[in-house]
Amino acid sequence: MITGLGVISPLGHDPDTLFSGLMAGESGIRALTADGPRGPYSTVAAAVEFDPASYFPPGRKIDHLDRVTRFALAAAAEALADSTIRFTDANRRRSGVALGTGMGAANALEETYVQLLQRDPDRLKPMTVLTAMNNAAAAHVAIQHGLGGPNHTFSCACSSSAVAIGEACRQIRHGYADIMVAGGAEAPLTFGFIKAWEALRVLAVPDRADPSASCRPFSKNRTGLVLGEGAAMVVLEEREAARRRGARIYGELAGYGSSNDSAHITKPSVEGQAHAMSLALADAGLTAGDIDYVNAHGTGTVLNDVTETCAIKQVFGTRAYQVPVSSTKSMHGHLLGGAGAMEFAIALLAMQRRAVPPTAHLDVPDPQCDLDYVAGRGRSDQDLRGVMSNSFAFGGTNAVLVARATGS
Amino acid sequence: MTKTLETVREILARKYSLPEESIQPEATLESLKLDSLDLVETLFEVEDEFNIRVPQDGSINLKIATVQDIVDVVNRLVAQRKPLRLAGGH
Repeated sequence: MITGLGVISPLGHDPDTLFSGLMAGESGIRALTADGPRGPYSTVAAAVEFDPASYFPPGRKIDHLDRVTRFALAAAAEALADSTIRFTDANRRRSGVALGTGMGAANALEETYVQLLQRDPDRLKPMTVLTAMNNAAAAHVAIQHGLGGPNHTFSCACSSSAVAIGEACRQIRHGYADIMVAGGAEAPLTFGFIKAWEALRVLAVPDRADPSASCRPFSKNRTGLVLGEGAAMVVLEEREAARRRGARIYGELAGYGSSNDSAHITKPSVEGQAHAMSLALADAGLTAGDIDYVNAHGTGTVLNDVTETCAIKQVFGTRAYQVPVSSTKSMHGHLLGGAGAMEFAIALLAMQRRAVPPTAHLDVPDPQCDLDYVAGRGRSDQDLRGVMSNSFAFGGTNAVLVARATGS
Repeated sequence: MTKTLETVREILARKYSLPEESIQPEATLESLKLDSLDLVETLFEVEDEFNIRVPQDGSINLKIATVQDIVDVVNRLVAQRKPLRLAGGH
């Protein structure tokens, strides 16, 4: 059962603000000017406005916490507060953390290179390793809340946090934990990482007239993805324990499917994606007919959106044309390792609020992308019995999460 | 109070929000609730402050137990540094 939810997003830091922004088709993508080694450079990105003072008490040392760790800590604190769980000595040892991140402590790593290569090749801060290690965020979540159960970090590019949530569910199902704080975080908006993504030629061409409209999934005029940052964490709780304490329940994480294309490091595969969707449905004991909304991976690259459309058709059959499919990346950008968690959280909110968020900036239909992508604005008064969230990664890892409304 | 002790006290007080009067020369780091990671961070700042480098081989920091131990290390390394500097100037 999902009993808590916390987000740090380019559209706001609480579920209400995020979801209402999405429903209105608002975009958190902006022109971004940042410092580079040869002066300012500009791009478009979905950056988070984050004031650490809102999340860390005065006097707490946070210099050694990378931006990604700060995001994760803030989202986890929000999720746990939202869940109203009270930890005791007994349940802390049965409570764990599963966190996904693709690029990890990008800011700290970049700072390390700048320091070594530009300033002093002999002088790094003592906390460098502890700041930059990929499991720093998960570790600090456990330390802050005293969670003594399993603590794992998953890194499989853009599927990382969907995998984290799926694997966390298995920890509970298989009896290793009763409570898991699960999700992901990413903070990749550094000069080096942006240049690396540019070099791969998958970033969207900035829309000069309206930078916020640069990411256009499923639209014929799409040119690529827009990098985003942030974190989303959910609290997963063993079913009976959640019911016993009368927890408010967002829904049930009913199914998780994971596969690998095992074919190409970047090129997505219809078969691999469809396999993961089918596994998730089977795991949930549901069929495509039970799914009333798909939050697509929908990156806005030419190849992804066609491939994903074909994969949905393969799994959903004729129902593919009836089920609304949207890519909220058009508004919050691509959170990479944090994307799966952010989008799963959005799918949960959709189910809870009976509303389907749109795909923004889908202005020009693409004959190869012919599903109902909820173009422009969201739809309210929708009865969503089951929702699916897709995440597909470079490296070929596909991860699909299916949630079901409780009581259905 | 020696200048070195004064500076070390200032660093510890600032970094760990400790009252200066608790940072007596004979105070152990343990009694100040500082762990081995805190010591590593403190040495980093001490190195910058005194323009010295504490050797990486553990020969020194593993033996540090009290505030005075840090002061002694600093004084020894500062004393070693000065002739080297003079020599470098010729």
